[in-house]
Amino acid sequence: MAVKARPSGSVMVVGAGIAGIQSALDLANSGFKVYLVEHSPSIGGTMTQLDKTFPTNDCAMCIVSPKLVECSRHHNIEVLTYSDVKEVSGEAGNFSITVNKKARSIDPDKCTGCGTCMMTCPVTNRLQIQEIFEEDAIEEIEETERIINQYGGKRQSLITILQDVNEKFGYLPEGALRSISTHLELPLAEVYGTVCFYKAFSLEPVGKHLIKVCMGTACHVRGAGRILEELERYLGIPSGQTTEDRLFTLDTVNCLGACALGPIVSVDGDFHGNMSLLRTAKLVDEYAKRK
Amino acid sequence: MEKFKTTADLETFRRKITSVRPAPKISITISVNSSCCILRGSKTVAAAFKDELESQGLNGKIEVLHTGCLGFCEIEPVVIIQPANILYGKVSRKDVKEIVARTVKNGEVLERLLYKDPVSGEKIRGKGNIPFYQKQMRHILGRNEVIDPRSIDDYIKAGGYSALTRTLDGIAPTELVNMIKESGLRGRGGGGFPVGLKWISCRDAPCDDGIRYVICNADEGDPGAYMDRSILEGNPHSVIEGMIIASFGIGAGEGWVYVRAEYPLAVEHLNIALSQALNYGLLGENILGSGHSFSINVARGAGAFVCGESTALMASLEGKVGRPRSKYVHTVEKGLFDRPSSLNNVETFANVSLILEKGVEGYREIGTEGSKGTKIFSLVGKINNTGLVEVPMGITLREIIYDIGGGIPGGKRFKAVQTGGPSGGCIPERLLDLSVDFDALKEAGSIMGSGGMIVMDEDTCMVDVARYFMNFLKGESCGKCVPCREGTRRMSEILERICLGGGEMEDLEVLEDVCEYLPDTALCALGATAANPVLSTLKYFRNEYTEHIKQKFCRAGVCKTLFRYEIDKDLCTGCTLCSMQCPVNAISGERKKAHIISADVCSRCGICYESCRFGAVKIIQTGAAV
Repeated sequence: MAVKARPSGSVMVVGAGIAGIQSALDLANSGFKVYLVEHSPSIGGTMTQLDKTFPTNDCAMCIVSPKLVECSRHHNIEVLTYSDVKEVSGEAGNFSITVNKKARSIDPDKCTGCGTCMMTCPVTNRLQIQEIFEEDAIEEIEETERIINQYGGKRQSLITILQDVNEKFGYLPEGALRSISTHLELPLAEVYGTVCFYKAFSLEPVGKHLIKVCMGTACHVRGAGRILEELERYLGIPSGQTTEDRLFTLDTVNCLGACALGPIVSVDGDFHGNMSLLRTAKLVDEYAKRK
Repeated sequence: MEKFKTTADLETFRRKITSVRPAPKISITISVNSSCCILRGSKTVAAAFKDELESQGLNGKIEVLHTGCLGFCEIEPVVIIQPANILYGKVSRKDVKEIVARTVKNGEVLERLLYKDPVSGEKIRGKGNIPFYQKQMRHILGRNEVIDPRSIDDYIKAGGYSALTRTLDGIAPTELVNMIKESGLRGRGGGGFPVGLKWISCRDAPCDDGIRYVICNADEGDPGAYMDRSILEGNPHSVIEGMIIASFGIGAGEGWVYVRAEYPLAVEHLNIALSQALNYGLLGENILGSGHSFSINVARGAGAFVCGESTALMASLEGKVGRPRSKYVHTVEKGLFDRPSSLNNVETFANVSLILEKGVEGYREIGTEGSKGTKIFSLVGKINNTGLVEVPMGITLREIIYDIGGGIPGGKRFKAVQTGGPSGGCIPERLLDLSVDFDALKEAGSIMGSGGMIVMDEDTCMVDVARYFMNFLKGESCGKCVPCREGTRRMSEILERICLGGGEMEDLEVLEDVCEYLPDTALCALGATAANPVLSTLKYFRNEYTEHIKQKFCRAGVCKTLFRYEIDKDLCTGCTLCSMQCPVNAISGERKKAHIISADVCSRCGICYESCRFGAVKIIQTGAAV
């Protein structure tokens, strides 16, 4: 494509993440006037939220923050935050672009970013997305709120609250997590991250009977692996899943601490010691009959 | 019950209950209050005793004591009848009627319920004569035998909280921490750090608001270890007493117990004990008039192995993700909520009152130069007498395994003993005369750890053991630091490959390389010690690795693609048991004639190998991965 018209000498970069910032800086250093448009109130994008970067494990903020400063100080860059591109017309080399700058309700020339207004604002951590819950989620949320209140809604009680909710429903429903996030004033991502870290929590409903195979060392040398394989074969599901009829969930546990009686299988919290391959199928049948 | 206001109140109460409740003529001790015993049906036995004694009109005349774990898990549930000193093992509900009618009433001994020594085949009557108990030194576990863990009065009657009264009466906090330092007590959780030093640094650490914490680590994550559970279930007050004494020495006002949620009974007993101690005024404001105040909270773990690490545990207590941090500032200076915190293991706290009772000199007499006192091990795996053993430091592994443990069952050959959980290593037969203490075990490439001692016989594949631990560590690595996250993953991949028959000799070099770097670069102890299981098996059992790689053979019959089962024609009697059990119908043959396993169909599940009563199913080398 041949560019006929004389280039206008200015460039617009849409999106001020690390890629947008770097492009803007490179262009600006080459002598172009750059308009850097960003949808959110500040530039930086996702990278500013990361701890480390793959694969070198370098600190993300250490890479991105000097660039943020450079961007804002560069004479060739005009940063348009909290703005959206509405319309693009013209052709390559000579575009006309309409940008909609949203109301900040704060005078950007005067604001120094001291953070005092944020600290004193009485409304914090409100979810900005309109939540739509199913009818049956209401009960879950009410129950969760009851548990949260029981612990005084303190941040340090997060794990205890999650344990109680998990015990109550057999898993952690989405509504409960959202409710915990709001009440403890924690980002949902942090609640979710905590849930994923600990093995005791489940994000999926479990079956009627929960089978846990102890994978402790003592059980392992006495053949726990074979017991697990036999259970997987007999139930037709891999470990960590639930049968189609939702009767059994199969899982492993690191050690139940009854090592003298290994291998151990726990069903619904009842221990069955000295398990053998011969007894495995019988045990499942026994619980299946209980319905 | 009124609160004790002074230490004298408590001592008066102790004298009162000891005189009001003299030893009855006959007492029956049943090990009920422990998870393993319940699993073996102890609750039904206890209920049967209650019914039987009632129907015989013996109620109230005979004291029945429901204790926690007595340590000898192999023969639980245990019933001890005193003063005749008769111990019955593996008692079932059906035996109760006979025991009451013959032993309790007439003093007869029921031969069939007595313990049979697996070595000599002799029937043994009293607890003291059983070899399992003879070589032990049960200073800490021994108290389980005289205490109902749900009763604080039992504990007080047995001399409990006397160490506390002695401390509050006449020992200054600085003197106390120095006594603990002098005693040579080292942390029982695995690291073996001198406890006294930790307390002193915590006491001396600067703190703006004066709030310090005493934390009990009951997150017993090592698979194969359960002594902390047993202490918490069987004698929770001993831990509470240790914590109160620690708080007095350190000047801490608040304590936490971080206990695994997988131990519901331990949590229950701990909560009962805490409320009893609070009711008696042993916790709370102005304890026994000393001016010292201390309270204890309980937090349940949520199933993360790394939370046994001090900084991760404290992060978890704060309600955060349990990831360790680097410790250029120690937790004794900035720990929980950035305040000075002293974290000790359950068993360590249980040792504290013992030191005060015995005195520093008395305590120092037990153990070796560098490791004082006793240590509880969970002796499990391929061993005759499984259970919890408490031995003085310095005893040899051979004594533990053969004299106390009774050797390997089924006439199999001993191969290795694994200590220290996933951070420890495997010790081969030729090092069995090694004395067990912190330093000697470390020298042998393992660690003392929290006290798991897993015995392995010839049916255990050492490559598979290394693979098992690496798989465990891979799953439990928190992912914060690269050496641990990637190192364990790569090692796990290599070991998995060797177990499947795709290993190369170069793999061993790569393993050794990774093992060399990991300890120096990992952030916390989980990563720093992750190499031990691999290094120790590579060092002592290299031949098994080369056999897996070169001959594609797993002689233990564990790595499924590296062997096949075959029925020995001469030994097979044609009983058809194996063919009936086989889940994939791989075994054919007529009745009373030798059977054949079809190698193509066989899934190597091992049911036939396990069920054959004549040892006719053999493990055969195939020469190539199947």
